Amino acid sequence: MQRYMPDWWALPALNDNNKAFFTSGKIVVQTCKSCQTAQHPPEDVCHVCQETSFDWQTCSGEGVVYSHTVVEHPIPGTLKDRVPYTVILVSLNDHPEIRILGNPVNIDPNKVEVGQKVKAVFETIEDEKAGVTLKIPQWEVI
Amino acid sequence: MQGKSAVVGIGETRYYKRGQSPKTEFQLASEAITKAVADAGLELKDIDGFSSYMESRNDPGRLSAALGMKNVAFAAQPWGGGGNGVAASVGLADAAVSAGYAKNVVVFRALAQGQFGRFGQSKPATHAHGNNAFSATYGMLSPAHTCALQTTRFMHEYGITQDSLAEIALTAHAHAQLNPRAIRYGKPLTREEYHASRWIAKPFHIYDCCPENDGATAIVVTSIDRARDLKQKPVPILAAAQGLGQRDGALQFNEPSFPTSFNSEVGQQIWQRSGITPKDVQVAQFYENFTGPVLMAIAEMGFCEKEEINEFVANGNLQGPNAKLPINTSGGNLAEGYMHGFELINEAVRQVRGDSTCQVADVEHSLVVSGPGYSPGSAVLFSKD
Repeated sequence: MQRYMPDWWALPALNDNNKAFFTSGKIVVQTCKSCQTAQHPPEDVCHVCQETSFDWQTCSGEGVVYSHTVVEHPIPGTLKDRVPYTVILVSLNDHPEIRILGNPVNIDPNKVEVGQKVKAVFETIEDEKAGVTLKIPQWEVI
Repeated sequence: MQGKSAVVGIGETRYYKRGQSPKTEFQLASEAITKAVADAGLELKDIDGFSSYMESRNDPGRLSAALGMKNVAFAAQPWGGGGNGVAASVGLADAAVSAGYAKNVVVFRALAQGQFGRFGQSKPATHAHGNNAFSATYGMLSPAHTCALQTTRFMHEYGITQDSLAEIALTAHAHAQLNPRAIRYGKPLTREEYHASRWIAKPFHIYDCCPENDGATAIVVTSIDRARDLKQKPVPILAAAQGLGQRDGALQFNEPSFPTSFNSEVGQQIWQRSGITPKDVQVAQFYENFTGPVLMAIAEMGFCEKEEINEFVANGNLQGPNAKLPINTSGGNLAEGYMHGFELINEAVRQVRGDSTCQVADVEHSLVVSGPGYSPGSAVLFSKD
């Protein structure tokens, strides 16, 4: 699918904490090997037991819009042809306490509402500079 | 703490539109500090401590060398990437003076964005690094976007109206009409103009967003005993606090308390340390980065319940010296001038001294609440001596 933000827009720089999130093609959350606590964004330390070894738990990819904003004023100005665009905060059905940012790809920016059900989709992008195939999580309103 | 230290001097430069200061940031800082020291009836050589916030570019070594200080005994800044450090920086000075680590501490903020570039901007880059990868990738870029996301949820949960956001902007502009220092002096704002103005990031119109300005403000903090021998009526620091609730520092909007201004803990500490309640506060200054988080801060500091915000801020309840709770009486960030919120400290001190351009009668307690929505939050409470 076509990228929601412009083709030239910044891509995630991968590291050990975010590689699974941006390349697995699934909604994954960091889960503590010791106490199974799930947390986002991925951290270096489990916030419950302070252990430092983690797995990735695959979630259903379904959630609800917890909050949103329609960006009308381009910052930076180079986004002037892309506004208005909408950023949503999605609460996951599997872990309602976990919230993930994204864009709603199949709806008028101004028609997004709190409580709408959403389902994850993925933008496949070749990051040639980094030599990696990204699968950036995005959201369809269902 | 508990009035062991006091503000004895305040100073400020002229406030300029962003990028229009003819002076460098260091010159602005020096001017505001020099004025605050003179206002106190002290000399620059008497200053032996510095505090500021958000990684001030005007470091104490350079300042003390340029301004002729004999020695520096204390220099510190709080953590935090924004206006959340305003009151915390005063709290540091209070702590240093109360503990006897320094005698006369200057607290200041100086901005010259023409010289150094703007805040709130995100430079386009090929990659978003660290935690930014989870936000910038999706166009979540500036403080306006962060606070808009907080505010949308806040409005949804508590039935907050756009008109309640407007009240904060209208109050600031009304008060700026009384204040010749204010950038918006002579430029009133009507409710109709507010609603018709362009959107920045919904639910924020342009008037919901603080402008950026050039200038500097400063205060001098000393012990209450020394303060009583000086030129001005002392303005004691009754309580200062910084704070976060459990996991309030979780990133990417994953704090359990979202949406929060990070002031619940701060409020509890302020009232506990001071022994007073919100009802005992005659006037308050709330840092406006954006209007929505101010509404959160009013409730989290304990002035009303979140469900009561619409009626608490309506009907001119915040506007004018006789309002139920006059706030941002100089015009604040939105309309006096964005000195990164430090102009609010000077105004809170003026209210106790009795020389504000929107003077509230019989001020016993004057509160400043720092930049909401950025952690850790902070506040400082001044009192009459």
